[in-house]
Amino acid sequence: MDVKLEGINKSFGQVQVLKDINLVFPSRKFITLLGPSGCGKTTLLRMIAGLEPVTSGGIRFGERVVNELAPRDRNIAMVFQSYALYPQMTVRRNLGYGLRVRKTPKAEMDAAVERVAAILEISHLLDRKPAQLSGGQRQRVALGRAMVRQPDIFLMDEPLSNLDAKLRVTMRAELRRFHLDLGATTIYVTHDQLEAMTMSDMIAVMHGGIVQQFGTPAEVYGQPANLFVAGFIGSPPMNLLAGELRGDDKPTFASPGLTVQLPNLVAHPPSRDVMLGIRPQDLDLVGDHEPADLRGRVWVVELLGSEKLVEVEYAERKRVTVQVRAETSVNVDDTVGVRLNARRAHVFDIKSGATLRS
Amino acid sequence: MRAGFTLSDRAVGLLFIAPFLAAAIFFMVYPVVEAIRMAFYSYNPLRPDLSTFVGLRNFEFIFADPLFWDSFWQATVWTLLSIVFQTVFGVAIALLLHQALPGIALFRGLLLFPYIVPTVVIALIWRWIFNPEIGVVNYALQSASLIKEPIYWLSTPSMAMASTILLNVWKYTPFVVICVLARLQTVPLELYDAAKVDGAGVVRRFLDVTLPQLKEVLIVVIVFRTIWTFNKFEEIYLLTKGGPGTSTFNLAVYSFEQSIANLRLGVGAATGVVMMVMLSIGSIIYLRVSGFGQDEKSP
Repeated sequence: MDVKLEGINKSFGQVQVLKDINLVFPSRKFITLLGPSGCGKTTLLRMIAGLEPVTSGGIRFGERVVNELAPRDRNIAMVFQSYALYPQMTVRRNLGYGLRVRKTPKAEMDAAVERVAAILEISHLLDRKPAQLSGGQRQRVALGRAMVRQPDIFLMDEPLSNLDAKLRVTMRAELRRFHLDLGATTIYVTHDQLEAMTMSDMIAVMHGGIVQQFGTPAEVYGQPANLFVAGFIGSPPMNLLAGELRGDDKPTFASPGLTVQLPNLVAHPPSRDVMLGIRPQDLDLVGDHEPADLRGRVWVVELLGSEKLVEVEYAERKRVTVQVRAETSVNVDDTVGVRLNARRAHVFDIKSGATLRS
Repeated sequence: MRAGFTLSDRAVGLLFIAPFLAAAIFFMVYPVVEAIRMAFYSYNPLRPDLSTFVGLRNFEFIFADPLFWDSFWQATVWTLLSIVFQTVFGVAIALLLHQALPGIALFRGLLLFPYIVPTVVIALIWRWIFNPEIGVVNYALQSASLIKEPIYWLSTPSMAMASTILLNVWKYTPFVVICVLARLQTVPLELYDAAKVDGAGVVRRFLDVTLPQLKEVLIVVIVFRTIWTFNKFEEIYLLTKGGPGTSTFNLAVYSFEQSIANLRLGVGAATGVVMMVMLSIGSIIYLRVSGFGQDEKSP
């Protein structure tokens, strides 16, 4: 079932936390609301769930307007960050609670619980209480409680953030797999861009109550719509260099220590003050005497395992991060050249933050 | 480290706890031991020289005394009804005060009022309130045409019992409210959200989320309130002196009457020992049955 958000606004008292959200989440897709804390992503999710009233605007599931419907009437299920398992109930009763409240016949309820427990491999835990489970097991029970009613829409509020790093990686893949098997629309809230990139069909990047960009993971990574998205998506983060644009037919970016032609720039710049964005992967380290776009001194070297991050100071207090293979021999205080893949460069208007690359 | 006089950690710890220990021994342990000892003696405070060991005679006396058994049953009724109403009202008021409304903090503060005022003052005020001729209760009921004749609140046996219960409920409901309110504020909100999404209405959310979370605090509150109410002396004595007749005697009043009015301190002490034994056994059984401390908490 697709989810349409039409002109959603939300205020808490005087504070407006969501501003004119217009989004269509296609049916059966895995959609992630991604943004830093305080960006309004959880509030938006809670509004879709019906746990938070909408100040203005409309929410549709398919053709049905659900604004005024209670959570129970929306046929949704939600997984909470803290799992929110009922502590006094066994896993079996936790899983069946939604069905029991809806007065489902016992045989049917038991069958549904057993089926979900088998899928999640928690059948052996059915008679335990939540306090007797590990974090990962609780996570599965919370997931099972959501799955058992076969909802149209799954809502997940940072469900992996309480797990340790290793388990999080496994659960990421499992969640993606369950999503495909269940065929429901999943709306997933996270501040972790890695989760968003790995699991989603579509990502809505949010900041300051506004959707900054809505697109596939490849789009938000490859064609960030503005400075915020450019800076937020990608690890290590994109290098952002302030400078100005020169030349109209052959646009060139110029800043102290760096001048580079920009073959991809098409949009007409509203101003000459721009920000050049280039990912560390699109920079290359070359020897001191080879031709280069930038020259500078190695300020720090970080080894990531298969890669190294090299920070090069090319002008006073101006540094770029270059990602190179771990085998590359480079030491602090070496003088190096940096080559820039101009085709992969992004240019943003400093005032509006919008991209100048069509 | 400076050489010289130093104490081990253990000695310092003992030193810190010593003042409390001394006070506790003097004011708590000694009186209890002394009361137990006295329960086996015949002791007239006017003739301490005639004190003699009488074995179980004091206990035989009270178990044969019909007034002891009347007091026991009246204490049971007074305790049970007080606890039931305190718990029900306490939880209800706590739920109301838990609502996030402007100015609610004022009401939370007001709540402490009955608790702060000394019992003597309260009892005197309530005697005026219950006064059949000029009391505000009768005046209100008569003005509202609910009753024609004034009710003799403190001088008819059943009404006197009801009045003492009313006073106790009024004074100690805030204790229940405070305990429950404190617990309510720690119930994870996500549990309510989860229950809403699962389809639970207001009543089911109360039964399946709120009440289980309150279970432990209610068990503790009920045990404490039962012990304190069963032993309560001053409220009954100040309001009705156990009367009319002996209709509002509880065991504490009985013990007092035996000790002070009848000068049988040994019998009074024996009554105290019986109360202690009954309450200990009752509390242990209750804690076992309710499964206190066996329920694992979920973070």
